[in-house]
Amino acid sequence: MNIGIKAIEYFLPQKILSNADLAKTFPGWTEEKIYNKTGIVNRHIANDDEYVSDLAYCAAKKLFENHSIEPKDIDFVILFTQSPDYNVPTTACILQDRLEIPKSAGAFDINLGCSAFIYGLAVAKSLINTNIAKNILLITAETYSKYINPREKSVVTIFGDGAAAALISYSEASQIKEFDLGTDGSGAEHLIVSSSGVRSRRTENNNQDGLSNSLYMNGPEIFNFTIDVVPKSIENVLIKNNLTFNDIDFFVFHQANSYMLDHLRKKCYIPEDKFFINMSDTGNTVSSTIPIALCQAENEGRIKRGDTILLVGFGVGLSWGSTIIVW
Amino acid sequence: MNVQTKLDLLEDMLELEQGSLEMTCKLESLESWDSLAAISLIALVDEHFEKRLTGAMIKEFKTVQDIIDFME
Repeated sequence: MNIGIKAIEYFLPQKILSNADLAKTFPGWTEEKIYNKTGIVNRHIANDDEYVSDLAYCAAKKLFENHSIEPKDIDFVILFTQSPDYNVPTTACILQDRLEIPKSAGAFDINLGCSAFIYGLAVAKSLINTNIAKNILLITAETYSKYINPREKSVVTIFGDGAAAALISYSEASQIKEFDLGTDGSGAEHLIVSSSGVRSRRTENNNQDGLSNSLYMNGPEIFNFTIDVVPKSIENVLIKNNLTFNDIDFFVFHQANSYMLDHLRKKCYIPEDKFFINMSDTGNTVSSTIPIALCQAENEGRIKRGDTILLVGFGVGLSWGSTIIVW
Repeated sequence: MNVQTKLDLLEDMLELEQGSLEMTCKLESLESWDSLAAISLIALVDEHFEKRLTGAMIKEFKTVQDIIDFME
């Protein structure tokens, strides 16, 4: 038996931030220009009283309902988030209770962003391989909007909120193969909310210490990092799986920004018909872009069961990872 | 690549009409020279010149001439 992704669903909050809304905030920018530069039309934004646990709950409920999964079947909950309801306690524990998953299940949060889904598959596969769990609920959920200064053009145009839930189990057909993972913490400052942890409590006024309440992204540095690591990671993961470029039916990268994705596609010599870009109605949902893209690609008929798909996640940390799955 | 071709690439990137960009033109005077243009420029020099451009290097560019000089 293999270990594979049995099912995925995703959830986006109702409230929408459109290019028309943004064009009003930033004179000189038109709806068309924002679309041309980002590939995004709408971003879904959590309400003031809507949090990561709510988005995660809705995604998991949808997974259970649409795939006839019973909460009692789940024996592990993994939540990847960087905007949890609380730092203390663990948001995955709250989800265990809200989703009525048995108390015998394990649960934890993992703090990773753009590379989260790849690491999630790695951790889930490991827990099953070591007989610790059999049916893992893997959730990615972010409300980066709560960190975003609405006047900060470079981030408000890109990021949207959302969550995805996947069931990872033993499987006849689907498979999670080998991984290539990597980290470069020297780039931590390039994508950061510097007041987001305990460090910011040293001073009463967060900004006194140069710590900012809002998300900072150094776009050029993040882009250069991506150009450096993505082609190498693809090469590494093909070698680890003993596969060649032509064995891959489809490529799904973290949906960071469609302009960057198109550049990476060309740089890696991936033909357009094997490459997925669809951010128009979601924006960059951080940890959920890859599972959302897999759902969308299946709905659009671009992937089918049995296809060999190469996944790459990269970003905040800086952290990256690749794997190959059989869908 | 000759200077005219480089100028064409920059005009295309900045969504300007062909022939509208002068070498002495100050970048800060261009409305479309913003954070997204920086990303576009990194992609452009990587694709056409196989050169790497950091954020700090982009900040040092003052005129169109500075960018053209980098494109070799």
